Amino acid sequence: MMRNTAGPIVLLLVLGFLIGPFIIIVAASFSAGDTLAFPPQGFSLKWIVKVFTVESFRQSFAISMFLAVGSTLAALILGIPASYAMSRYRLPGSETVRFMVSMPIIVPGIIVGLALLRFFVIPVGLSITLALFLAHTALVLPYAVRVVSASLANLRTDIEEAAVLLGSSRMGAFFRVILPNIRGGILAAFILGFVTSFNQVPVSLFLSGPGVRTLPIDMLGYMEIVFDPSIAALSSLLAFMSMAVVFAAERLLGFSRYV
Amino acid sequence: MFQNRKEALALALPAALFAATVFLVPVVLLLSEGFRAPGHWSISAYIDFFASPLNRAVFLRTLKLGFLVTAVAAVLGYAAAYAIVPLPASAKGRMIGLVVLPLMISPVARTYAWIVILGRTGIVNQALSFVGLTDEPLRILFTETAVFIGLLQLFLPLMIISLISALENLPRDVVPAARVLGANWFQVFWKVILPLTREGLVIGGTLVFTGAMTAYITPAILGGSKVLMLETLLYQRVTVASDFASASVIALILISMSFAANILLRRIASVRRKS
Repeated sequence: MMRNTAGPIVLLLVLGFLIGPFIIIVAASFSAGDTLAFPPQGFSLKWIVKVFTVESFRQSFAISMFLAVGSTLAALILGIPASYAMSRYRLPGSETVRFMVSMPIIVPGIIVGLALLRFFVIPVGLSITLALFLAHTALVLPYAVRVVSASLANLRTDIEEAAVLLGSSRMGAFFRVILPNIRGGILAAFILGFVTSFNQVPVSLFLSGPGVRTLPIDMLGYMEIVFDPSIAALSSLLAFMSMAVVFAAERLLGFSRYV
Repeated sequence: MFQNRKEALALALPAALFAATVFLVPVVLLLSEGFRAPGHWSISAYIDFFASPLNRAVFLRTLKLGFLVTAVAAVLGYAAAYAIVPLPASAKGRMIGLVVLPLMISPVARTYAWIVILGRTGIVNQALSFVGLTDEPLRILFTETAVFIGLLQLFLPLMIISLISALENLPRDVVPAARVLGANWFQVFWKVILPLTREGLVIGGTLVFTGAMTAYITPAILGGSKVLMLETLLYQRVTVASDFASASVIALILISMSFAANILLRRIASVRRKS
């Protein structure tokens, strides 16, 4: 019966290994000292406050927010019709479309960023912001298509056929019958896309430029120069933000069903 | 099923065209660059890349860390999943929540935590000097050990989740049956559990291995320029030396690996759907 005690102990150690660093980061962000240390020296909120006063963090946060919301919306606008076509029409080459659209997940982000920079952004002469927007849209598109396709697959096809038979146009049936029924899936795709884009580093690495950086890239640059607890404070804030979003989504619509 | 082909194309085309221009064509051009020499095709970029001892070392280190992280994740994953699966539903849900939680947190934040733990004045060094084991701080940051630890923490949840679903499909009585028939725990694992959960292990292993091989943030923060992996080498070759030929070689290595892994996962998924 040795197994019965060994199992839980290992599980506890593994959970400690997975969660522990996060707890340490949160503790370190309440430090009163000037260098990053654990256990924290004293208690203060000064590093949490400092995060909001650093100008570059404010700027890069705004850019990351814009990218996460904008590129996820764009990915949904491209992805929903494509998913609908692949699930409801006999579309020649629909597997090819699915494969093409899902590839940005398979190819490592750093390569996507470099390829886009050299063979699209520079030749076409795009601005940094637009380049980041396109790259993040390509990255989020596979998630949008996957999650929306899954909720379309779970939706019976006869209700839209009924709507069409009763005189609704195809378009009308889509907006009045399909869309309300896959609302949950779309919201889930939005949250997944948002978190993916917001936390994304490799894709943005080559595409970020002077003055236009995403928040994670900004943090990477900052931590190379300054060794104070402000990155810890920012990390904890971001972690709590994503946890709140995911938790709310789980409560509201059973997010995990869709992912 | 609707038959109108034009409508279907009109709906699917924007997404396909977008993926082609923003993604597919640039990546193909990037890859083709590695086979281009002035005026003709050649594989000299590949020969040059592997002729450099530094590049070979980085390539082998990336493979080594990928395998090591996968192997250790498998061992810890089996232990953790085996402890989670028999729990009552609510406790199980909470445990899975705790395992998945780190996946929602920014990888930059998760990796940064290891600086606090492994740094010169970090927890590990404080503990070691407190106990009196070391006189001066141990250098753990910017070593392979630090990168290994960071990668393991980043990708272990994927292995645990894959193994939980595999172990849940394990028939309830096979393990007690094997025990009653006299098998020791090692035999039970090797001859009963492992063959029956192989699929979950392959899925988890593929996710962990490709994740570790193609990681950027962890080797960048915890390894620095001392412990380069393929992605950090790619970044360095491009930013420091504008060496696009090497970048293309590394890109092809990483892409072919990810594709192989993806095909393997698809095959497993389609076999499972049929059965």
